[in-house]
Amino acid sequence: MKLGYTIIYVADVPKTVTFYEAAFGLKQRFIHESNLYGEMETGETILAFAGTEAAEMNGLAILPNNPDGPAAAWEICFVTADVATAYDRALSEGCQPVSAPSEKPWGQTVSYVRDLDGCIVEIASPIQSSA
Amino acid sequence: MWSFAARTSGSAVVLPDGRCDIIVRNHASTPDEVTPIITGPATQPYRVDYDTGDQWFGIRLRPEHGAALWQDDLGNAPDSVLRGPEALDRLPSLAALHGAAPTLDVLAHIVSAQTWPDVDPRLTRAIDILHASGGRLRIDALAKFVACTARHLNRLFRGSVGLSAKTYAQLIQFHRTLKLINNGNVPIIAAAFEGGYSDHAHMARTFRRFGGFTPSDIPTDLSLPAIPSK
Repeated sequence: MKLGYTIIYVADVPKTVTFYEAAFGLKQRFIHESNLYGEMETGETILAFAGTEAAEMNGLAILPNNPDGPAAAWEICFVTADVATAYDRALSEGCQPVSAPSEKPWGQTVSYVRDLDGCIVEIASPIQSSA
Repeated sequence: MWSFAARTSGSAVVLPDGRCDIIVRNHASTPDEVTPIITGPATQPYRVDYDTGDQWFGIRLRPEHGAALWQDDLGNAPDSVLRGPEALDRLPSLAALHGAAPTLDVLAHIVSAQTWPDVDPRLTRAIDILHASGGRLRIDALAKFVACTARHLNRLFRGSVGLSAKTYAQLIQFHRTLKLINNGNVPIIAAAFEGGYSDHAHMARTFRRFGGFTPSDIPTDLSLPAIPSK
């Protein structure tokens, strides 16, 4: 078994896909004609978005994300060599700042923003392997 | 929109989903006559008997449109059913069905020609969130999602849906848990946990209230309404 998908339930799938393209430079893989499911080009492990109505159709009960309240207890993390530029871009495209880039004791640069649905997105540099 | 044509005679239990329906029934024995039916937001199950060839055409309104249909009578609407002349008094435009072959399109045309007053968007959003949560969100937490007090949200529910927010949430929770048992093949105890009931007895009380049966004795002739809010 392997991790195939991270699927985030959101209020508006096309809007979220567009937001992720602008804020994080991702490309969309496809959006289903129902507008209730969309995937981003994120390599082998796919970042996808599903409409909150889809949760009910699948028999799930979820706590929808709420930008005005505390974030859900998970995050996604994008890795880039230039954290500062990626962070600035995210803010300029509408992300809410949570934590500006800072260097951690283990040498990694880390920042946090919240996306249009209030989900936590970490933007960090690769962890340098200790040789 | 929904329709049903009976291929055999029999009866079915219709489970409540807190929403109003506008229905046209066509008896096989009197094909030239149609009976308009308007239901209030249902909280109790009811049994429908039918003969081979009987047909129904129905439009299930979004829950917040109950007030548009029942207006000042919404307080008396829960579990009410108006048939024939009473239904025509409530929605006179249904008279256009007289003498016409009833179809879903005709009914949809009549209903869409009605003026549907605007509903507070906070209520519509709250209903959608409540559905996504499987009815498990507490009303005070739901109110925070839509930036109003629980008391005000409850007023919106009573004023537009015709039920309290808690009753509507309990109906969603009941339907989801029923599906977990029926469609998901989840053991009853596990369904009670995932459905958000405090224990088996809590779930059993709710099943008796909304379904008239216990979780271990679910009838096979249930007519399950399409519970999704949209």
